[in-house]
Amino acid sequence: MIEEWRLLITEDNSAYTNMAMDRAEIVSISKGNAPPTVRFFTWKPRAISIGYFQSLREEVNLDACRNLGVDYVRRITGGGAVFHDKELTYSIVIPESHNQIPKNIMKSYSRICGAIIKGLNQLGIDSSYYPINDIIASGKKISGNAQTRKAKTVLQHGTILMDVDVEEMFSLLIVPNEKIKDKMISDVKERVTSVKDILGKNISFNDVADAMKIGFEDEFNINLNLGTFTEEEKDLTDKFEKEFFSTNEWNNRR
Amino acid sequence: MKSNSIYKVPDGKLLKITLEYNKEKNLIADLKITGDFFAYPEEAIELIEDKLRNSLLKRDALIEKINSIIKENQIEFIGLNAKGLADGILMCLK
Repeated sequence: MIEEWRLLITEDNSAYTNMAMDRAEIVSISKGNAPPTVRFFTWKPRAISIGYFQSLREEVNLDACRNLGVDYVRRITGGGAVFHDKELTYSIVIPESHNQIPKNIMKSYSRICGAIIKGLNQLGIDSSYYPINDIIASGKKISGNAQTRKAKTVLQHGTILMDVDVEEMFSLLIVPNEKIKDKMISDVKERVTSVKDILGKNISFNDVADAMKIGFEDEFNINLNLGTFTEEEKDLTDKFEKEFFSTNEWNNRR
Repeated sequence: MKSNSIYKVPDGKLLKITLEYNKEKNLIADLKITGDFFAYPEEAIELIEDKLRNSLLKRDALIEKINSIIKENQIEFIGLNAKGLADGILMCLK
């Protein structure tokens, strides 16, 4: 029997809601109250997320964010700062004990990235896993990923870049040395690509989501059924949004 | 004394250290470890910062201390390791 997992599609939520949803899923799935879940989502307003270990003030230009209406949030996962603009963001939440998830963290990154690689392949893009936590296409980064494990449950979330504006991204991040800012921008342009860059045309969120759904189904040999949050998850999302992700205490904690 | 460093860990991530230290005694007074690395569980980083307070700023001793904290608390680093962390801390002295 093919296993049935849940698919959630939640477009246009705030950074705080998005991060609260991932955390709510960890709680419900760790208790067996929901099946393994893949979520595809977007951010409105656009937002910067920083890694758990990063310093908000050292990484994010808060004035520039305010001026451009960009939100910022600290993730519960490690890794670097990401400007969530024209992208599909995914998350997967699954018990650590599931037979499809390697115990070894690096191996599990590679396995979950396998679903994204298969999804990109559906769009006609060849890509490969580039340790520690990237996926590259045509030698450039097209996807960044971050994983945490809590309550014996794996959360991995990541981005699939649909289009990218490196100049705008750098206007929102703190550059350690202003003198080399132009060089850094040109370096990042050389190292980052997008679905649009590679295919030479705009692809809609829905088309990328359809491709990624097939990618996850193929990689894990499962069916993804479009579902909704449980009442418990909705309550927890509200709680985590209010008590953690939208608070200064959380976002400034490092 | 207070000092900062930015250190790219070999084959790893970018580590940023803020260090307060006692120059005469060569001891860590306070330490903040930030960067784009991964550590499991994440809360372990605060534990490491606490446990390294009053440690001697000497490479071998630091590496040994960090390794013992990692082992005792079953911490897993990705993109960072005990040597990288010790070197990032000591870079603040230069």
